[in-house]
Amino acid sequence: MKMALFKKKIAKDESYYLASQWQLMWRKLKKHKLARFSLTLLIVLYIGALFADFFAPYGLEEFSSLYKNTAPTKVYWKDENGEWSRPYVHKLKKVNDKKTWTVIVTEDPSEKYYLDFFVEGIEYKLLGFIPCDTHLYGLVNEQGEVDRTARINIFGADSTGACIFSRILFGGRVSLTIPFVSAAISFVLGILLGGISGYFGGVVDNVIQRIIEVLSAIPSIPLWMALSAAIPAGISVSAMYLYITIILSFIGWTGLARVVRGKFIALRKEDFVMAAKLAGVSDFKIIVKHLVPGFLSYLIVNLTLGIPGSILGETSMSYLGLGMKAPATSWGVLLKETEDLVSVAQCPWKMIPLAFVVITVLAFNFLGDGLRDAADPYK
Amino acid sequence: MSKGDQILDVRNIHMRFSSKGITVKAVTDVSFPVHEGETIGIVGESGCGKTTLGRCIVRAYEPSEGSVMYTTSEGELIDFLKIDKQTMKKVRKEIQMIFQDPYSSLDPRMTVFDIIKEPIVANYPKMPKAEIEQKVMDIAAKVGLNTSYLKRYPHAFSGGQRQRIGIARALVLNPRIIVCDEAVSALDVSIQAQVINLLHDLQKEFGLTYLFISHDLSVVEYISDKVGVMYLGKMVEFAPTKNLFEHPMHPYTESLLSAVPIADPTVQNERIPLEGEIPNPANPPSGCFFHTRCRYCTEKCKNAVPEYVEMEPEHYVACHRAQELKLRGFKYDE
Amino acid sequence: MNQNDTIIEVKDLKINIKIDEGTLTAVRGVNFEIKKGETLGLVGESGCGKSLTSKAILGINDKKCKAEGEIIFDADDLGKVNLLALNPRGKEIRSVRGKQISMIFQEPMVAFSPMYTIGNQINEATLLHITKDKKKAKEISLEVMRKVGIANAEKRYDQYPHEFSGGMLQRALIAMALVCNPKLLIADEPTTALDVTIQAQILELMKELQKDFGMSILFITHDLGTVAKMCDRVAVMYLGKIVESAPAVEIYKNPQHPYTQGLIGSVHKIGTKTQERLFSIEGTVPLALNLPAGCGFYDRCHKRIEGVCNVYAPELVEVGGEHKIACFACTGCKGGECK
Repeated sequence: MKMALFKKKIAKDESYYLASQWQLMWRKLKKHKLARFSLTLLIVLYIGALFADFFAPYGLEEFSSLYKNTAPTKVYWKDENGEWSRPYVHKLKKVNDKKTWTVIVTEDPSEKYYLDFFVEGIEYKLLGFIPCDTHLYGLVNEQGEVDRTARINIFGADSTGACIFSRILFGGRVSLTIPFVSAAISFVLGILLGGISGYFGGVVDNVIQRIIEVLSAIPSIPLWMALSAAIPAGISVSAMYLYITIILSFIGWTGLARVVRGKFIALRKEDFVMAAKLAGVSDFKIIVKHLVPGFLSYLIVNLTLGIPGSILGETSMSYLGLGMKAPATSWGVLLKETEDLVSVAQCPWKMIPLAFVVITVLAFNFLGDGLRDAADPYK
Repeated sequence: MSKGDQILDVRNIHMRFSSKGITVKAVTDVSFPVHEGETIGIVGESGCGKTTLGRCIVRAYEPSEGSVMYTTSEGELIDFLKIDKQTMKKVRKEIQMIFQDPYSSLDPRMTVFDIIKEPIVANYPKMPKAEIEQKVMDIAAKVGLNTSYLKRYPHAFSGGQRQRIGIARALVLNPRIIVCDEAVSALDVSIQAQVINLLHDLQKEFGLTYLFISHDLSVVEYISDKVGVMYLGKMVEFAPTKNLFEHPMHPYTESLLSAVPIADPTVQNERIPLEGEIPNPANPPSGCFFHTRCRYCTEKCKNAVPEYVEMEPEHYVACHRAQELKLRGFKYDE
Repeated sequence: MNQNDTIIEVKDLKINIKIDEGTLTAVRGVNFEIKKGETLGLVGESGCGKSLTSKAILGINDKKCKAEGEIIFDADDLGKVNLLALNPRGKEIRSVRGKQISMIFQEPMVAFSPMYTIGNQINEATLLHITKDKKKAKEISLEVMRKVGIANAEKRYDQYPHEFSGGMLQRALIAMALVCNPKLLIADEPTTALDVTIQAQILELMKELQKDFGMSILFITHDLGTVAKMCDRVAVMYLGKIVESAPAVEIYKNPQHPYTQGLIGSVHKIGTKTQERLFSIEGTVPLALNLPAGCGFYDRCHKRIEGVCNVYAPELVEVGGEHKIACFACTGCKGGECK
């Protein structure tokens, strides 16, 4: 028994000795509880966005004017006699208010619609190519048939009567991927320009550094406004998406290029780089084998910490009307509905997308924090 | 080429670093000969330019002036600092370096095997895999590394073992000259002895020539055949070890030797104090650089730069009063 | 020996450090005492626990380190107190720390804040422990600066750390440590970062100041040369234990423990070019994690006795003339009997 324990210990040590940088980083990251939790949370959010068609009960085009600005649908767990029942909801109906003589929307308690899972709904293509019409949840009537006239909006409905929960999931597709695409562009630009700056030094370095300074001196909102003015009106949603990404990465690369340059210069002075040089290793190989792996982990940290900025960037651009516009859906577009105080006061559920933005931003920050601690596992 | 022939002739090396209009002379006019199979010790205090000198000789820095005449394995005499790229490729591997810090000198992202392999791949790109592997194994065993640990990363090793990896990397190309820059300074005493013994054994086996740069005088005295003393970028004295330690001819050497702590409480040697502090290398004193702190200083020392001359056979010194002064060194046994 | 002469007594000090892999026993039962005006050298290689021991005295170890045992200090106002039993942030320990026990560190460049003048930083201790009067404090600080050989003290007082050379900075650090006239000075590798000529100056200075101030010194180092120059008594540490302790002359003349012998043998003495190879100790210091029973030096020892040394842990045994050794092979007593 004791021997077995001892052997296990040795095996663990050996795997530690054989662990590469990334494995060591992963070990350290795993110990960072908050980062681990954030990572799980982000994975959940991304899965939600990826399979939005499945998780969302309604498609983007499915809205109902009856449900305009309605609060989250109330789900009943007990029937009218106070007995436990299968969860159900009521349909809404329009009635005339006898006192004010206005039309108001209220629940129609005459019929029950039961909550059911894996129900049939609008058709979609899962992952873009698998034809499918099953949704995670939906409503069935008392006969067990799918009834599309009743709706369940767990986060309420917006001004068009569309389900906010569904829109959050679909909006996540845009809001959660724009940062990654723009990060990828920043990544390439940052490594390239920062690397050139750090490697060649001299005049080239000077020019690039001055450009970075000018770019980062321009306040971001006016810059967005200027750049988005250049986007032609009436273009498709996907083209818009591309433009927004480019605008965001245009600002993002400068910080990254600085990090790359600094790391480049620091690493170039390390003894192991000199050793490689003395061994006759070519400059290109030194860069690829020693320098880039050396700062890659720092880059990833920087990118992770930069992503919240892009998310907020997209959100605020869309909110200001400079970015995505309805009918396209993104978290910024959803928040645009909360522009006026009246809608916030009357329909507080419209703030729910904000919670998603905040949670995502925080999760990325915590994850970045954990990554930063893990980035140099050799300390 | 037989053992004992001149392999390297360091001639009038100058190294100036300038930034923001201030020029610092890190190395000023250093010359000394090196014979094959010898160990040359370079000592001096921090900031004296010994590390810069070592890096100039391996051409990690490009010296501002001077030449390093190198006799290649084929007997050709070339200036290592001025050769073209083609020749450099051939000769580069013959002069290698061992670094001070066993932590920063190994890329933590590469396995030990890859670290030792790197120089072979860079110089013999067409060598078959099996042969490379054999070579790495052989050299690892030579420096006392457990060959079953080669797949590990450097973080699995202690300082002493890391230094062995560094030595293996330097040796894998069969160099003839190795510059050891404070190669044992960062190690614990008992590990220091192991590494020094290893360097000793390797020298015997491969006929290596060492340039041993260190601030530790007792290590240098143990390992070197000849010792050069540097002060403020200049070589002030250069002589066979015993000669230098027994009969130093430069007052700086005398003070330096008297300051060495001896691991024997019964010996309380009287220290010859050095006045003041090391002058700023960006603004060195006139005349003899050492005159501000020298207790034998005369008017001449303040104005005229002393020449670096061979006072006795093989004993070079740069001091106006070297002839007349009787300086104190260590008493040798026997 | 008069018991009242003892300034500090460390009894069975154990320090455990919690790390990811488990608990590391860095110090495993250390005993020593320092008398008034005496210098004790604590010698050992990196990781032997010598620095942790000294920091435990001041109670400035990391939170992850847990110290057990007793450190009895003869404090001025409190009498004999166990420093470990005091609240590490309490009033009592603060009246001892910095005032009666002070410390100088290896890296003088790091020990000073670059934001304040040297005078300011020396004054800090004076104002805290001696006088509240700023003018008087400056007088005292200047006097100490002069004493440690800082020429032009008035001018130097207003300079910042970056304007000092390494040697001068170490002098300033010593001045800061001495300003309250401590009973015990802990010097943790005070000259390792310095050049030989400066090192010699600093060591001489410390010796002179010791005579003037009459303080005791705990001198921590890995360098046997400086120990020979500085210390009255030497304790050699290996893997968290003292393996040999004796008067300095004795330990160099007659080292008994195989580790001490190895340490002394692996340092070359200038002027004795007789040996072909340096004596070296095989292997490396093991990590103090899951240590096996028996002597910690067993794997590297050339005198080990199988069945004894790897079964029983040797204790320090006096072999005469204050010379204590923890080694079965040297003392001739077999583990089982000695218990």
